[in-house]
Parts: sequence; C-alpha cells; structure tokens
Amino acid sequence: MDKQGRGLSETVWTQLDRKAGAITELTIRQLRNRISTWVVLGIGVLLISLLLAFYIDAIRTDFEPIDNDGDSEDWDRDGYPVGQELIYGTSDYDNKQYPGSADYIYLGDIDWNDQPRTHDGNHTWRSVSGYFTPSWINEEAENPFGFYSWIDWNNEVYDCPSSGQPFDDWSFFEDSVCILENGTYVMFGASFAAEGELYVQPEWTAEWGYMTEAFDVEKHPKSMYIDEDDIDWNGNSGSQGFDDDGDCLKDQYLTDDNSQNDDNRNGIYCDVQWIFDVNGDLIEIQADRNVDEDPDDSKHIGESSHRTFIIGTGKIAFVMILGLFLPLFLALGLVRDESENGTLHYLLSKPIHRGEFILYRLLGYLAIVVSYTIILVSIVAIITSIIGPGDSIIRLSDYPVWMGIALSTILVLTAYGAIFNTVGLVLPRYGVYICMIYGIWEFLMGLFTITIPSASIPMLSISHWAIQLIDAVVLIAWSDTPLIQQKADAFGLDTGISFFWHPPVHTLETGNPFVALLISVVLILSISIGMIAIGQLIFRNKEIM
Amino acid sequence: MNEDTKAPAVLIENVSKWYGQVIGINDISLAIEGGVTGILGPNGAGKSTLFKLLMGRIKPSQGNVKLFGIDPWSDTSPYRRIGYVSESERLYDWMTGQDFVSTLARLHGMTREEANARAEHVLDFVGLHDVRHKEIGKYSKGMRQRVKIAHALVHDPDLIILDEPLHGCDPIARTSIMNVIRELGRRGKTVLVSSHILEEIERITEQIVILHNGRLLALGNLHAIRDLLDKHPHRIMITTAEPRKLARAFIEEEPVYGVRFPEANKLELQTNDLSAAHSVLPRVIVNSKVSVSRIDNPDDNLESLLGYLIGGE
Repeated sequence: MDKQGRGLSETVWTQLDRKAGAITELTIRQLRNRISTWVVLGIGVLLISLLLAFYIDAIRTDFEPIDNDGDSEDWDRDGYPVGQELIYGTSDYDNKQYPGSADYIYLGDIDWNDQPRTHDGNHTWRSVSGYFTPSWINEEAENPFGFYSWIDWNNEVYDCPSSGQPFDDWSFFEDSVCILENGTYVMFGASFAAEGELYVQPEWTAEWGYMTEAFDVEKHPKSMYIDEDDIDWNGNSGSQGFDDDGDCLKDQYLTDDNSQNDDNRNGIYCDVQWIFDVNGDLIEIQADRNVDEDPDDSKHIGESSHRTFIIGTGKIAFVMILGLFLPLFLALGLVRDESENGTLHYLLSKPIHRGEFILYRLLGYLAIVVSYTIILVSIVAIITSIIGPGDSIIRLSDYPVWMGIALSTILVLTAYGAIFNTVGLVLPRYGVYICMIYGIWEFLMGLFTITIPSASIPMLSISHWAIQLIDAVVLIAWSDTPLIQQKADAFGLDTGISFFWHPPVHTLETGNPFVALLISVVLILSISIGMIAIGQLIFRNKEIM
Repeated sequence: MNEDTKAPAVLIENVSKWYGQVIGINDISLAIEGGVTGILGPNGAGKSTLFKLLMGRIKPSQGNVKLFGIDPWSDTSPYRRIGYVSESERLYDWMTGQDFVSTLARLHGMTREEANARAEHVLDFVGLHDVRHKEIGKYSKGMRQRVKIAHALVHDPDLIILDEPLHGCDPIARTSIMNVIRELGRRGKTVLVSSHILEEIERITEQIVILHNGRLLALGNLHAIRDLLDKHPHRIMITTAEPRKLARAFIEEEPVYGVRFPEANKLELQTNDLSAAHSVLPRVIVNSKVSVSRIDNPDDNLESLLGYLIGGE
C-alpha cells in the first residue's frame, strides 16, 4: 500500500495524464535541445519555401494569357495572323493568300474522259496540259496560286522538238511549256492568264476560272487571337460550346460546307459535346476542331496549375519527404538513444509500465512533428490561398484540402514514427539502415501510387493510403477536379493535374470519396497502433543491460 | 492484488542469472528489510546484476525476485515505493537540477506543483538547494551524484537502492553523501548501498552482504565478520622517524607477536588480534614519546577480507 492506501498495482496505470505529460514534455525538451532536430526541421522549411518560391514564380509568369491554339502566329508572314486567315479561309502557309487577296474562283475543267476536249475563253488557267492557241496573253498577271507553276512567257518558253508528236513521242518536264512552229503552245501542268483556245488530248486535264478583285482587309493584332475562344458551358450535358472567334463556322465569308466540321459526329457543326453518365457525372468532352480551343488561361490553367501545385506539394513534399525524414531523424532514437546514453533507467525506475513509456515517448515526438506540420501547412495554405488564382481575396476552398494534407502527413508521421521507433528498439545498431531501405520502398511506392493509383503492389505501403487520402479529400473539397481534368485533356490545357491527381480507388465500389478517406485513416491508424503494440511487446520483454 | 503487506522490502529466492555461458549471479537467497545494508564485492562480483534484477531490467534465469512481494520484471508497481540511484554517470546535462528532479517526480503521478515542491525539498536535503537552478552539465562530480540521489528520494520511498553512490566523489562530497545515507537509515528506510571499498561501507553501516564471483559469500554484521578476521594474522603499518625505538616499546605488548622494518621510516606490527592491538596502540605511542605521522591497516580492505573468507571455507 502506498501512503494514500492504494494497492501498488493500482498506481501504475493511474494518473496517466501526469506521467504522460511529464514524459511527453521531457521528450519535447530533449528533441528541442538537439541540433539535429533543428537541422531536420529547418531543411523541411527550406524545401517548402523553395517550392513556394517556384509557385510564386510560376503564378506570376505562367498565368499570362497563353495562345493555346497557336493562332496568333503568322506563319506565312503576310501580316495576317493564322486566326484571321482561318476565318477568311486563306492559307496560312502561302503569303500570296491572305484575307482580301484576289481569289481564284473555279469555272470549269476538262477531265480525263470529258467531251468535248476543247475550250475557248479569257481565263485564269490552272494546271493545264494541252495545246493552247492564245489570242491575248496577260503577261502582267501574277501567280495567285503559290504552288502551281506560273508561266514566265519571256524566259521559260522553248521551241518544241521538230519531230514526233507531243504527249505521245515527247517526254516533257512537269510544268514546262514549248511553242510549236504554228504558234500553238504545248503545256504540261502550267498555269497562266490568257485568252485563247485550248485543246486537251484524251487522258490529260486542264482547269480554268477567274480571279476576284482584291480588297483591303484590316490586319488584326496578334492579341486578338489569344484567349479568344473561351470554354462555353452552362453546366448541362449535350451540345454546348460556341465558336466565339468564328474560325470553325466561317460562314460569314465562305459558303463551302467543308470549311465547317463536325469532328464529334453529333450532327451539329462547331459545337462541344458534353457527355454525362446516369449519375450526372461527366464522362467525356468531345469538341469539334477550333471550338472553345483557346480558353482564358488565368481562369482555367491558373486554376488547374494551382491545384496541381497543392496536390503535388501535399503528396510529395509533405507525405513522402517530410513524412519519411522527420521520423527517421526524430523517432528512430526515441527509446534507443535513451538506452545508449544510459539515461533510460532514470525513467524506468519509476512506476510506469514500459508500454506506457513507449507510448508517451511517441506522444512527445508527435507533439513536435504535428505542430510543425500544422504550422508549415498553414503558412503554405495562407500564402497560396491569397496569391492563388480566382476572384475572391482568399481561396477558402483550398483549406479543406490543406487540412487533408496535414491529416495525411500526421498519419504517416505517426505510422512511420511507430515503425522506426520499434525497429530502433529491436535493432539498435543496424535499425537505421533497415529504416532507410524501408523509406526508399515507401517513397517508390508513393511515386507508383501517384502515377498508377490502381496498381496493387503499392497497396502494401503506407504512402499509398496516405496519397489516396489526399485524392479523396481533393475530390470532396474540389468536386469539380475531374471536370478540370477533362477540360485539360479535351482542350489541351496541360498542367499536370491528370498526372498528380486521380479519383480515389478504394471506395468499396461506391465511388464515394468519404469511404476512401475513412479506409485510409482507419488503415494507417491500425498500422500505427499495431506497430506501437509490437514495440511495446518487444520492449517489455527486452533485458536492458 | 498480489501485494503482501508483510512482505519484506527485498526478497531474493534461489536466484541465478547467467548471460549465455557467463554466470552473473549464482543461486542467491536474501531477504532485506529495514536499515542500511551494504552490498560489498569487487568489480564483477555480481552487484550490478543483482541491482538490475531488483530494478526489473533483466529477468532471473532461475528463482524469484520480489520487491514488497511483487515481481519487478512483470510489474513496475513496486517502484512507487523505491528510489534507485544508478551507477551511470550520464544525466540530462541540459536540465537544471530542479527540472530533472521535478520531471522525474511527475512520473510518480505528482502534479507539477507537488513535483516542484518535493524537488525543492529533496534538493535541500541532499545539499543542492543553492545550485538547483543551474544546469546539471555545470555540476561537479559530487553534485551530480547528489542530484541522482535527490531524484531517487523525491517520492519519499521506503526502499532506496544506491549503486556505487560514492564512486569518484571527492572526500567532502563523500562525507555528505554518507550522511544522507545514514540519515535515511535512521528514518527507518530500507537502504541498499553497493561498493567495492570496505572502508566506505564501514562508515555507513554494519549490516553487509558480500558477493564474490556471483555467490553470496557472507551476510550479517560487519563487525562480527571483522572480529573473525581480527583473530588472524594482521598487520599495522606505522610511519615514524624512529621505527626501532617504537618497535622496542611494542614488542613488550601481548597482542603484538612480531615487528618488521619494510622501509627506513616504517614499522610493521604483526598481530593476531587487531582490535586488541589497536587498543594498546595509543598508550604505547604516547609513552614512547616517538612522533608518529601515520597509521595504516594494509590488511583492512575488501580484498583481504575476501581472501580470509574464501580461505576460511
């Protein structure tokens, strides 16, 4: 009996709070007094600061408007941007064709087997193979075609061979012209402007038309073709989207049906088909070419880059790096170092169970790493939520995700802490190498989980479940993340969000992120508790010399 | 509740402990209750093994260890009533004495306030009141020993176990620690003190346990053991300027049967009754009017005691 009349055995597990407080406090003060603690914590702050610096840098430059479809360029250097050439239907590879340039209009042709095989008139002739007897030649006319050969009447006309029949006995160079003694020209694929009579031998062809009058079209500034065709979507399924810049519709200028497209084959030209499943979840976005193709970057890329940063930082920096390094330096020696230093017996000569002792040591370690994680996450959360994209001053929707990241980090810190502490107990000398190898395994499995979340081997790692927890929280807090991914994929807004985030896999077929969240929490906690129990069992039966 | 209120503070029944092939403790039985008991033995005699068994650090290979009737290996509850001063020199150097003692006091379930008050009290008791707010790293060797004792006393234990508490202390610290231990004994605590120096233990207590090669060699009153020893040839070394003049005076005395002059200024007396020889010593020296600078008992140490005990078997 002690002085209060209690049996001795009653006093071991009593007043736990006071004993726990004392050992926890002692542990905190010990860790605080070690330089290595501050070095590790400092490196963590440095890493996060570096990421934050990259983020700030990215948010300043990358969210400048980007010409996603490249139509502000002027490939053929005719002064008209591609977007404007697309609307007018002119070639962006040919500087002779530009909005307002004289345009060749087709009138007729002689095909391989057409009858009759003669034609008389004043035309612009294109790709003519036959006998042409001109009454007037327009020698000033310039080549409107670009890639068809245009006859230079003064320099490129040769005398035809005196013997043999053209087209039968002679073999001509492509695009060449010669003149017969009677003044008739023999042509092979030549283009020109003239009045006269054409005869085409069977199995050869020619085409003719006329040139429209050129007119002046004001050159659009490049900036008109940046962010000019935002994503138009009213939240419903079906045919959505509008070709704001007219580079799909073009009907103002052209009547050619082929200029419009229906890539998604829903029978509607120039639209975007939004496909939902029966639950109302977006499955796919199918866009016709040139529709909604150049969205507002600060709105779409900005948002998805911001999310990518948060998810990537949470998974890699917090869970996989800090989550592994902090316990490696702070938890491995929690009991082992006391034993090696010879200070363990001060603690073990007190009426506490050895199991209690392990638990309180871990509590002391957790007190430090948990507050550290919360502070670090809060700082990054506050900074990014203020400078991040969006209209509101503070992005409140980020905070649940950061809380999920903090929770996931704290859980892995607990689990790894329990594991490393136990390994340190069992193998005081070589435990650190075992823990390093285990850490590499966890890191690799984490990377695998990020890329292929449904792979089965990573399920054996803790990082897999921690990362899935973040995936689940992201889906809960930002339920439109799959939509952002879809938009990124459909409209070419690549920000890495499809790499860093996947919908949670382990939802017991419900698809409910809360189920995945719960499974992850329960599983990691169970592993932690199991490892603590194993550590307690080993420590209880360990002879301490 | 497996606690027996009448159980002795320390009960060791046929305990053996071996580490592989090496025997640490060999079939020891012992019951200790009340007063100060010295555990004597040369290095490697099994003192540390015995204390580790008592402190539940290791499990006996055979036999039972009971503290207040409870096996300390499986149940730490006896430590509610036990204070332990280890022989380890390591302390939390970054803590102040007050911090160290009060932190460990809280492991007894005390509140912070109780712990602080108790810490201050015991630090005063061991004479560290003035330096209690200094870091332990700045303490002298004796202060470090005393802060270890303070932590062991903070919960007013009934059994105090001290492993080599005087080891490496200067004479002043030694005296102060001995006083603390004697005071604990006077207050009715059960105190176990280990040492490999007979003289230290002799100044603290008469009740001793002698261990040798893992065996219990002797148990009981130090003076009774010593009296046995006294009946056997014994030497007294006297340092003096005139050894031959003094020798003449001693040869007359009954307990002295022989003299030798090992060095120019030294006289060695040979006796079969050490206490009788000591009783005549002052008178002879005074009467002979020879000045004596030093008297030593070269046989009065643990080694000769052990030698006698082993030889007497």
